Amino acid sequence: MTATGLIARKEAGDLLLSLRGLGWLLTMAVVLSVFGLLLVGNTELSLLDNAQVVYDMGGIVTALGALLAVVVGTDAVAGERERGTLVSLLLTPASRNSILLGKLGGQAIAWAVMYAIALPYFWAVGSTGQNLVDGAVSVALLGTPVVLGFGFLAMGLGARLDSARSSLLPGLIVLLLSASPLLLGPSLRQSAIGRAFDAVNPFSGALNAYDAVIIDSQSIAAQVPHFAVTFVWLALTLWFAARGFSRVSR
Amino acid sequence: MIMEIDHLKVSLGGAPILHDVNLSLGEGEIYGLLGPNGAGKSTTIAAAIGLLKRDGGQVRIMGKDPQTEAKPIHAKLGVLPEQNGFYDWMTAEDYLGFFAALYDLHPREGDLQDRLARFGLEPRPGQRIGTFSRGMRQRLGLARALIADPALLILDEPTNGLDPRGRREIHDILIDLSENHGVGVLLCTHLLDDVERLCKRIGVIVEGRTVAEGTIADLVRSNDRLVRFRLHVNGDVSKSEVPPTVTVVARDGEWCSVALSPEIDPQTAWRELLFMGWPITEIRHEGGGIEDLYLGLTEGRAA
Repeated sequence: MTATGLIARKEAGDLLLSLRGLGWLLTMAVVLSVFGLLLVGNTELSLLDNAQVVYDMGGIVTALGALLAVVVGTDAVAGERERGTLVSLLLTPASRNSILLGKLGGQAIAWAVMYAIALPYFWAVGSTGQNLVDGAVSVALLGTPVVLGFGFLAMGLGARLDSARSSLLPGLIVLLLSASPLLLGPSLRQSAIGRAFDAVNPFSGALNAYDAVIIDSQSIAAQVPHFAVTFVWLALTLWFAARGFSRVSR
Repeated sequence: MIMEIDHLKVSLGGAPILHDVNLSLGEGEIYGLLGPNGAGKSTTIAAAIGLLKRDGGQVRIMGKDPQTEAKPIHAKLGVLPEQNGFYDWMTAEDYLGFFAALYDLHPREGDLQDRLARFGLEPRPGQRIGTFSRGMRQRLGLARALIADPALLILDEPTNGLDPRGRREIHDILIDLSENHGVGVLLCTHLLDDVERLCKRIGVIVEGRTVAEGTIADLVRSNDRLVRFRLHVNGDVSKSEVPPTVTVVARDGEWCSVALSPEIDPQTAWRELLFMGWPITEIRHEGGGIEDLYLGLTEGRAA
């Protein structure tokens, strides 16, 4: 196995075999259960239609995935540095790029696990309608660059800042700002500021695409502008992480 | 020389940390790097192995510059950092196996257990590193540093957390590595006992500068310090002869204070005293030598 593969496997172990990682996954499952119950309850009371609950669940899964990515990304660099494990990796013959790619792979595994946990909840809220598959596919295609981008951002911050705590905080602030469209009403989102924010915000890109596919029944292939926003975000954060990691000294 | 540092200068965040550090370490040599806390020992190590960029000076490890040729250097380098962390969810064998694979090594069945046993870590199937004591972690860190049979070993406080038996075992391993396998060892420690037992040459760093470098004997001699011991003798030795290598400083009943020149091997002196009829039953080191040298060089700085 290559150094990248070894490190990605180790990162997966950090998530799936350590108490810390399992605790986070359990927390995500509990939060999804709470939201799932709320959404099913709303559907039963005919307060929300099936498409709307699948859309809501897509937004929640993306937001929770991004939150997990920020935590895992912070831990992958700043956390390892604080625990004194990063220096041992840097002193092996594995190149920095291999180590970085392995850690990026770890982010992808964390998101894949999170997505797998979310699938039964998608089914629970959307199995009675026609939008379940569209919703799950939209989240896989557009949620992935958004979520991974937050993980890469957290890794870049962790490489630059002194401690895990000081790098976690700005990561969470960016996440809250980006995810604010989940909280904004339609009128605010239609204002000039709202539209400008939507145009550059990867979270908005993903949510608008979910809206178009799940609620308006448009095709996923027609969401090119939204794909563009999310993949530009992914590229920028990848560059940010790579630049930061190349300077890590201990 | 397996490691050479000439006039090394390093700044961190714009603040100069190392001003002028010099060090040279040969194959099969154990070199002690000493200095008070904050003197720049760990920074010297980080710059020497290419983790920190230097502002000036030269570093060569195995003839290569660690800043531009890190990969081949890291392949033959073992490092035990002072703050040495572990993946607590792994077993010791998994941990060594993970690092062996990163070095592109493919240990045979039982190799990893043998390595762990060499460091006093007997097989404990399924036991995770998170349950290990500090001493066990230190031993595992050493086993990891040696996983690729390095030509150069850099150890920052390697006997931290070890009991006296564990310390002695680590000493024996380091002596075996240097004498029988030609491994160069850079030993960074506060424990002068370790340095006296293991090192022939030392360097002392104070406030980012090398203030002394050379053999212990030469440095102690140039510092004009005698090495002092207290001997317990079972009988009257007031009339016994004293060899010229030993100076009797004081007598107090059955205890005798003696001083040796730093170039004298104490074992030789004790043999001569026994040969001359001194019934020595106990020997206590009282200071002088490297301890006085170190305290003199670092006077006024935090220990």
